[in-house]
Amino acid sequence: MIAEPGPTPIVGVVGCGVTGSRVMALLTQQHVRVAAFDAVRSVAVACARPVGAVVVDDVDDLTVCDAVVLCHPAPHLDLVALLFERGTPVVSVGDDLGDLSRLIGLHDQAARSGVPVVIGAGMAPGLSGLLARYLANQLDQLDELHVAIHGTAGPACARQHHDALGDTALGWHDGGWTEPPGGSGRDLVWFPEPVGAHDCYRAALGDPLLLQRSFPSVGRVSARVSATRRDRLTARLPMLTPPHASGGLGSVRVEARGAGPGGERITLITGAAGTTAELTAFASVATTLQLLRVGAAGGVHSLGDVALEPLDLLHQATSLGLKLQEFTGVGRATSW
Amino acid sequence: MKMLRRALVALSLAGTIAGLLRVKGKGGVPPQEGGWREVSVPPR
Repeated sequence: MIAEPGPTPIVGVVGCGVTGSRVMALLTQQHVRVAAFDAVRSVAVACARPVGAVVVDDVDDLTVCDAVVLCHPAPHLDLVALLFERGTPVVSVGDDLGDLSRLIGLHDQAARSGVPVVIGAGMAPGLSGLLARYLANQLDQLDELHVAIHGTAGPACARQHHDALGDTALGWHDGGWTEPPGGSGRDLVWFPEPVGAHDCYRAALGDPLLLQRSFPSVGRVSARVSATRRDRLTARLPMLTPPHASGGLGSVRVEARGAGPGGERITLITGAAGTTAELTAFASVATTLQLLRVGAAGGVHSLGDVALEPLDLLHQATSLGLKLQEFTGVGRATSW
Repeated sequence: MKMLRRALVALSLAGTIAGLLRVKGKGGVPPQEGGWREVSVPPR
């Protein structure tokens, strides 16, 4: 468990892009002091000034914080290792599949040192894990989890999604990992309003990896990302056009299939929509506040893990402004 | 030369058909029933 924070805790934020600045704004709204670091100091100053955060010149200066939120582009591994070795709890919003896989490998070390490290604390993975736990608790038996995401936050996030679409995807299917090619498995997904329907495809996304770890008994886990024909065609090439500087509207949708008390088949669908950076900030700030208030056991956790009390986190996220939506109607079987 | 002409004709035909399908095609059918509603999550 982390030490009881002082009367006004201080949280470090690494990376002052679209997501980092939203995280800083939300933390200061919750009366948390923020120390910001960015590789480009002028960017950190521009983000920190409006919300009254302080800027540090070296990331090492953040080790004295009560917690540190990592919002910079992948990889996060080295910085996470540095911070928890100094005893600083970490919340990482990174969604790079390879990076997440390596971060999970730090679990034993983090558990021994008693420092909580929360990985995949963004929109997806992150909010998706909270929604999955919310749905799983409504089922007597959980068989399948299927995640779909739409939208990107800042330019680094857009590049990450572009690369993911051209990379090998990951899925959990009847007790084994599958690695279908990215860009395959088109499915029309109806996201929460106002996002609506978009074609989604398999990609190298972190959700299957983290959800299978949080729900070890689940039979199938898949994740898809929305993409246009041009996105698919150019996925294996460098990005042809520069990504939107400020991101845009995003959404996450989680579908859980399982059985009810009488063995009847049930499909439950829930999701959220908003700007991608905002959805990421809701998940990461709710997690950070929970770490500050009640702490967590040492080790590497993700948001669907029971150890993090996901329903409390989801409640906290909604009190920060997250609008949770559920699909009312008959969930139709898809090709997932 | 004859082969090249045939290839060009085939390519332009394929392009025309693909274009027609792209413009006139209906694509997938979104769900016709149900919708989204906001829910609240009570504290544990």
